[in-house]
Amino acid sequence: MTSLRLEGVGFVYPDGTRALTDVDLAIEPGERVAIVGQNGSGKSTLVRHLNGLLRPTEGRVLHDGEDVAGRRVSALAARVGIVFQNPDRQIFAGKVRDEVAFGPRILGRSAGEAQQAGLDALTAVGLAESIDANPYDLGYSRRKLLALASVLAMGTPVLVLDEPTTGQDARGIARVQQVIADVAATGRTVIAISHDMRFVAETFGRVVAMGAGRVLLDGDPAKVFAEPTWPILASTYLEPTYAARVGARLALGPTPREQDVVDALVRQGAAIDPERTILPD
Amino acid sequence: MLGGYLGPTAIIAVMLVLAVRGGVLGTIVRASLLLTLPIAISVVLVSVFTRAGTTVLLQIGPFDATLEGVDFAGQTLVRLFAISLSIGLFVLTTDPRALVFDLERRGLSPRAAFVAVATIEAVPTLVERAAVIGESQRARGLDTEGSLRARLRGLLPLVGPVILGSLTDVEERSLALESRAFSRPGRRHLLWSMPDESWQRAVRWALGATLVLAIVARITGRL
Repeated sequence: MTSLRLEGVGFVYPDGTRALTDVDLAIEPGERVAIVGQNGSGKSTLVRHLNGLLRPTEGRVLHDGEDVAGRRVSALAARVGIVFQNPDRQIFAGKVRDEVAFGPRILGRSAGEAQQAGLDALTAVGLAESIDANPYDLGYSRRKLLALASVLAMGTPVLVLDEPTTGQDARGIARVQQVIADVAATGRTVIAISHDMRFVAETFGRVVAMGAGRVLLDGDPAKVFAEPTWPILASTYLEPTYAARVGARLALGPTPREQDVVDALVRQGAAIDPERTILPD
Repeated sequence: MLGGYLGPTAIIAVMLVLAVRGGVLGTIVRASLLLTLPIAISVVLVSVFTRAGTTVLLQIGPFDATLEGVDFAGQTLVRLFAISLSIGLFVLTTDPRALVFDLERRGLSPRAAFVAVATIEAVPTLVERAAVIGESQRARGLDTEGSLRARLRGLLPLVGPVILGSLTDVEERSLALESRAFSRPGRRHLLWSMPDESWQRAVRWALGATLVLAIVARITGRL
């Protein structure tokens, strides 16, 4: 397992745009961390530092206490796997099985091990039956799951997901949530960038809110989505979930599920037929 | 002997003045020198040592370097430089979209204009896409910084998504355009018109007339 630490990390793009300023972050093995913030707040830039795709212009990045400044991306990829937002920027193989075996093969697994790791990952995301399909015959949401499987198959101690729920329907989101829970259950770290606050509140144990390249909030969802922080969230164009806003009025705490809100309303005598308002888990 | 240099040299002088005005002097001179260098080397070698002449400047083995050869090479070089400067100035100071839109205004078919603009605009998009794909594959452990063999092995994962993504983009863009009545026949109104002042039109006519006169003079042996 790998612990990650960013110490005073700052980053300025070659065109002079400052994307990160003095970011201090420590992520322990097994944590589930969501990174949220408006577009351009530095989320993607931040995670690209975790596997060396970007190198800090100030500060340093450490894996297990070791500065990774001199390490190649191809070496760091064995520790930190990143699933990018657009699957079409990644998929190249003519068959799903070859796409998922690519990463493990690069990491030095045998053909048999790579095939097995690929099959396991496809099973985890619900694509096992598509193993012989052409990736481009799959719809966008399934290609996104394939991209997730192809990195999952690498078995990296840290898994980073960039907007994993974009383009997913409720079933796809539930699948992603299950994958995250399964990965975390093995002691591996999951980090996700997301604009989907409901997904964030329900899935992650820690939320890091960013704005203008800085960490604005860092804590468990109950702390980050608590009513006193709403102005800070608003400053980075985020708003708590509908359930959180209503739940705050109903004293349900900062991260209630929508079903909790319905149940509370029913308890308080609202004119709601509970049989007709059962929401999916 | 100097007559052969006057025309190209005048063109070079005008191009350099225009390049200064356009703020592209350094770029255009560098690009022109780089473009003409390989041709210039071969022209100098072939002309100086193989062109027949009466004034031998030096001998290297069986080859004579003649004054006539040097003169021919010199004239060829200034012409090449004039041509490359002219093309370079055009490329560096003309917005490709403006060019294509103006051609469409003058009767170029919208389909041809679209193909031209799409091709021009595809370049930065491809560069951006290639960069993201590179990051994506490196994040899966692909070594793009190692030996030549390792880089060659990584070619397909890098090139594949670029090509597939480009094809998909073209298809999606075509569908989006069709859904906005792109291929509707008939006259269309362009929302943009290129600024074209009277002195610019006068200069264009003058340049066109000069070109015709130069061709006539050349044909009739007066130039």
